[in-house]
Amino acid sequence: MQKHNQKEHLYKLLVIGDLGVGKTSIIKRYVHQNFSPHYRATIGVDFALKVLSWDAETVVRLQLWDIAGQERFGNMTRVYYREAMGAFIVFDITRPATFEAVTKWKEDLDSKLVLPNGKPVPAVLLANKCDQGIDVLMNNGIKMDQFCKENGFVGWFETSAKENININEASRCLVKHIIASESDPVQSLEPDIIKPHLNSSKIVSCSACFKS
Amino acid sequence: MEYEEKTGRAHRPLSPKQNVRKNLDFEPLSTTALILEDRPANLPAKPAEEAQKHRQQYEEMVVQAKKRELKEAQRRKKQLEERCKLEDSIGNAVLTWNNEILPNWETMCCSRKVRELWWQGIPPSVRGKVWSLAIGNELNITHELYDICLARAKEKWRSLSTGGAEVECEDAGFSAADREASLELIKLDISRTFPNLCIFQQGGPYHDTLHSILGAYTCYRPDVGYVQGMSFIAAVLILNLDTADAFIAFSNLLNKPCQMAFFRVDHGLMLTYFAAFEVFFEENLPKLFAHFKKNNLTPDIYLIDWIFTLYSKSLPLDLACRVWDVFCRDGEEFLFRTALGILKLFEDILTKMDFIHIAQFLTKLPEDLPSEEFFTSIAAIQMQSRNKKWAQILAALQKDNREMEKGSPSLKH
Repeated sequence: MQKHNQKEHLYKLLVIGDLGVGKTSIIKRYVHQNFSPHYRATIGVDFALKVLSWDAETVVRLQLWDIAGQERFGNMTRVYYREAMGAFIVFDITRPATFEAVTKWKEDLDSKLVLPNGKPVPAVLLANKCDQGIDVLMNNGIKMDQFCKENGFVGWFETSAKENININEASRCLVKHIIASESDPVQSLEPDIIKPHLNSSKIVSCSACFKS
Repeated sequence: MEYEEKTGRAHRPLSPKQNVRKNLDFEPLSTTALILEDRPANLPAKPAEEAQKHRQQYEEMVVQAKKRELKEAQRRKKQLEERCKLEDSIGNAVLTWNNEILPNWETMCCSRKVRELWWQGIPPSVRGKVWSLAIGNELNITHELYDICLARAKEKWRSLSTGGAEVECEDAGFSAADREASLELIKLDISRTFPNLCIFQQGGPYHDTLHSILGAYTCYRPDVGYVQGMSFIAAVLILNLDTADAFIAFSNLLNKPCQMAFFRVDHGLMLTYFAAFEVFFEENLPKLFAHFKKNNLTPDIYLIDWIFTLYSKSLPLDLACRVWDVFCRDGEEFLFRTALGILKLFEDILTKMDFIHIAQFLTKLPEDLPSEEFFTSIAAIQMQSRNKKWAQILAALQKDNREMEKGSPSLKH
């Protein structure tokens, strides 16, 4: 009955981060609801499509671009960033070097891509492999909240593709922010701080996404 | 289910016919009990007429089943004959390769007869030898050189694991951090190389071999280092050659112009290759080409994986090896011809798809590609565009690029 007044959004999302942090696994879990320890290395880019019934009036189609993690490809993969509306930046909590690379990925993303309104694309940080129990980085969540604010992430999640932890939540967080940034095109060229005067019933504030 | 089991048990000791039918592959099991048995005592008996009807139906079923069985037997016989024929022809091909072609490689490798036999696919037992000969050894790598490179790689692994990397970084132009990253990447990628074969993973028989070849290569060519995709190429070579010979083939293969352009991620040159590919794409499949253009489906989306791994990741391994066979014969243009063959094979469904579905399809090809249709499709691709061959088109595009760069240095990137 609602079919003809249903709105449909199509968003291109990037999934980036160092090699072997689990980008492909996260996508497979999210889209196909399964996990295998035997995924092959991604060369270039792989694709997936996820359709969400966002609410009664809205269908969201997510085009997921799973981009190879080796730094060497950086120059080549910039073309893949074009017209993306949001990004997941993934690191592996058992490998500190992959966390150190997060700021590099974020800078790379922001330098190559801005939204039509001039703002950086919403990005959510994923601390993957949280099932491994070797959490070398996050002794407390406050530091991560701080890190996200400083680096312009709209939220962060501890995820596990293996145990299916927080992946849907992370995606909802990112989509929320994309919808918010779309419905507010006048908010251009401002630093990406969530404004208190924004209609809070429409825009879910960052802290809702942050885990405490 | 339970009912079937019970009746099954009930009729087993019963009819002598049962034993005869035991020999049949096809047995309409669940119906037998109903037809050939009397009803249980607590139910009224079957009327004679109905029993007769059931018997008749049953007989018909048996006749049908027998017919089916006969047909199946014929099909199997035919299959067997075909397999024997195939094995014979492979056997003959092995003889031809071993006795006629390999001993006279230089004179015979380019003959029409050999080229035709080559297209059919090289028998696995001589495949490694033919690849080695065809790839050549322009770099003059010896087994000793491999041993030296490997020893150096092992030294580095040791010093990295004991934290002594800093000592070495001064004498080389490449930072220790880079090298460390390369070695780390190799470790991560090895377990993700043909994971379903379970031979390259930790504890598998070829884990150390793959590790050694990739490590030795980063010492042999520190300017190239390890690049994703290499592990797949090395793995395919390992499956067909001894370790040192695999290293020699690997290094020489990566030294070819197309592979160097890609593995050094020479963006400009890669784009030139894509542009040349598009010339032949438009020429061979104009309708699909237009559809791709309309949907913004650029070659980098699907060609990168195909070229970097020489199809070993995207095609079933046996097909990939046959592509490698002809790649060894025809050179880089065959990689692009194969790509067009794939697009041609799936042209009809691809023209009906939108961007994301095409992208998904091409980055994950169907696993059951029919090999004969696949090669027929590749054979139908013309690598001539207005009388120009691949190499000419590529050279012309490269020249244009160079002139453009000279003309406006600001565009250079």
